[in-house]
Amino acid sequence: MLLFRSEEHVTRWLAGRTPGATISVGTLCDLAYAWWGDRLDPNWRPRSRDYSQAILDGLGLTGPAWTLP
Amino acid sequence: MAQRCAGPGRTVLLGAEGARQRVTGLRSGGYDRAVDQPDLDLRNLTYRRFIDLGRAPTATEIATERQQSVDAVRAGWRRLHEAHAVVLDRDMVELRMVNPFAARPTAHRVEAAGRSWFANCAWDAFGVGAALHVDSVIDTTCPDCADPIRVTVTDSRPDDTDLVFHVLVPAAEWWADIGYT
Repeated sequence: MLLFRSEEHVTRWLAGRTPGATISVGTLCDLAYAWWGDRLDPNWRPRSRDYSQAILDGLGLTGPAWTLP
Repeated sequence: MAQRCAGPGRTVLLGAEGARQRVTGLRSGGYDRAVDQPDLDLRNLTYRRFIDLGRAPTATEIATERQQSVDAVRAGWRRLHEAHAVVLDRDMVELRMVNPFAARPTAHRVEAAGRSWFANCAWDAFGVGAALHVDSVIDTTCPDCADPIRVTVTDSRPDDTDLVFHVLVPAAEWWADIGYT
């Protein structure tokens, strides 16, 4: 889970390997806030797998790369 | 190669009060595993002390505060580790990840709330400010060209929108090795 200058840098870094998923830094930021925003809440409770999946789906992060087991 | 980094540290556990009942029929690893209230209390204290200290608390420090044995704290941490609520080191003794915070130095440094933290990966790096509900400055390097990258996040928006994030490992396999995603 790495940050790159651009997609061109990702492609070069992959060096022919099968790519995973690439998203914009803006979407990453949205994801981070949705995922981690409640982490220090004293009333924090664990999430279900489906709740977590809904966060991904809600940001348009779908497909095999983003499907939780 | 992909970095050794923390994944999203998702905790997909079902809250549970009372006795230490564990959910059976796990979907995969710690997904949908219950965590009881004593372990939630341990988890919350661990997070609070990580914030207060600016580093991972030791089992001894937590044991002293909880008036428990070190073994009891480590047993609780192991249950939380199995439930993906924290990540322990290889020896299952001390903390490795209290996501999004990293217990060890990494390539992802975050300034937030007047302090600095290590994050486990790029996702977690943006998660530090999110968790603390403050603006942040993230310093990392491009894995391709090794150039430094500095991103300032203000009001939850990054100041450099040309950057992209890549995750090499599919989500179904993140917890197969959470240090390699």
